Amino acid sequence: MPESAILETRGVSKKFDGFVAVSGVSYRLSEGEAAGIIGPNGAGKTTFFNLLTGMFPPTEGTVLFRGEDITRCPAHERVGRGVIRTFQLVSVFDQLSVRENLVLSVVRPGDGRNRKRGFFFSDAARPEISDACGEALALVGLEGKASRATSSLSYGDKRKLEIALALSLRPAVLLLDEPFAGLSDAEIGEVLELVHRVKASFSLVIIEHKISRIVDLVSRLSVMHEGKLIAEGDPKKVIEEPLVRQVYWGRA
Amino acid sequence: MKIPWKKYDCLLIVAGFLLLLPFLKIQRTTDFIIFCVFVLSYDLLYGYMGRLSFGPMLFLGAGAYAVTLFSEHLSPNPFLALSFAVVAAAAVGALIGPIIVRTTGAAFALINLAFNQIGHFLVLIAFAKYTGGEDGMSAHFSKVGFFDVQDRTMIFVFSLFCLVLAFYLLKRLTSSPFGILLRTIKENETRARFLGYDTFLYKWGAFVISGGLAGFAGALSIMNYGYVTPSFIDPHRNVEVIFAVLIGGAGNLYGAIIGGVAYMVVSNYLATYIARWEMFLGIGLLLLVFRFRTGVWGAVTGLLASRRGEAETR
Repeated sequence: MPESAILETRGVSKKFDGFVAVSGVSYRLSEGEAAGIIGPNGAGKTTFFNLLTGMFPPTEGTVLFRGEDITRCPAHERVGRGVIRTFQLVSVFDQLSVRENLVLSVVRPGDGRNRKRGFFFSDAARPEISDACGEALALVGLEGKASRATSSLSYGDKRKLEIALALSLRPAVLLLDEPFAGLSDAEIGEVLELVHRVKASFSLVIIEHKISRIVDLVSRLSVMHEGKLIAEGDPKKVIEEPLVRQVYWGRA
Repeated sequence: MKIPWKKYDCLLIVAGFLLLLPFLKIQRTTDFIIFCVFVLSYDLLYGYMGRLSFGPMLFLGAGAYAVTLFSEHLSPNPFLALSFAVVAAAAVGALIGPIIVRTTGAAFALINLAFNQIGHFLVLIAFAKYTGGEDGMSAHFSKVGFFDVQDRTMIFVFSLFCLVLAFYLLKRLTSSPFGILLRTIKENETRARFLGYDTFLYKWGAFVISGGLAGFAGALSIMNYGYVTPSFIDPHRNVEVIFAVLIGGAGNLYGAIIGGVAYMVVSNYLATYIARWEMFLGIGLLLLVFRFRTGVWGAVTGLLASRRGEAETR
């Protein structure tokens, strides 16, 4: 094997009441690689992410993390290993302040740092935590908004906050589920720039709808259609393939 | 938001209850204080973790019966009995918690109620031989040094100390990362799992803490009254603590205490003036649920915040 795989699936399928959302997908992500998955709506991309991150177990097949079978491993344990994701619809905690959103990922479970002593009875606003939250916010350009109510943020800022959450969990592999959906063009530019800036420190899988946005970001592109992987390879070549053009644009 | 007197909140609680003394009998005031401990325990579960339970009386009752049975059969030392009661109520929570905390919403509320009814049945009928059934039983505590449970002033001071202690510990707990975790579980438990937390364990833990604290309140009540009856575990009385939390404003410890006192004042004194006082309480509650969702405390802080022009939130 040339490079070792950080994340790998072997023939994973997911059926919901007879509907096959993901069908026999074998996928391999190398250490340090940045890869993209594209496909039309309902192609099974998000379900595939859910299988990778432990939202639910697959009906068939196995999921491997650095060669270890994690198929039945619950979501929180996968996070402990560094499998970190964001959600298609931004998922942050509206009822908390921006800074409070970051406390739980800064005080990382299994990290030992703040775990034993400070988790239950020490102030979540103490300087060492606050500073770490501030750093995480500065990374995504939200440093001035730490004490704001999260519900008052724009959708784009919430997306940045969610990425800050993910980054502060120190991902080994980061899975971004349509991170540009619902953002303005200016915000897309900012988030793209952010991902470019940080992607060197982990492996990356990004689901996207619009191919043009991620062609420069990823070194490999996979195309999903009706639960199956139908093409894979260099982004610029993949989008030239007739089958891809067929399912994507409805013409070859 | 920042509240200038937050540093002195424990003192303010003490001062507040001392101010009640001229208006109420001391035993009644003690009763108010103990009820506030119970409301605090419920606020952790409902206000912070967002799980509405229809069965907190089970834990109050577990503590009440545990303290009585301990004093009767094992040792009349009030401190030992009180500690035993807390452990017993927490153990009940630890035992049934894994079944209960898996659920949410209506299922959570009703499973709690079901266990409460089982507990009520056990003390009323199944173990009537040991619990005195419908008649209940009296509790006898020995004097420890100068501490005498029979002394009304002593038990008042002790209860107030216990309330402040419970308040202080919960304040630390809820402002810690664990407190934030509970709030994330309330808002979006799945998301909390994807931050790497085994939410099941923490929900179970919070359930045990809440149960233990409710049992503490139950045991204190017995020290105040000197006897236990099945009314201490009666599922019909669950509404009291739910009302109190809603009145004060769920998810805030100051609100829990304000709500506890307000409910006690209403239920103790409205009843002497109005025959069907529950009806008015019901109407009041509808208003709270539909117009003032954040309770008295939320309304007060909201007003203060708007007077300061929301400067704090920026």
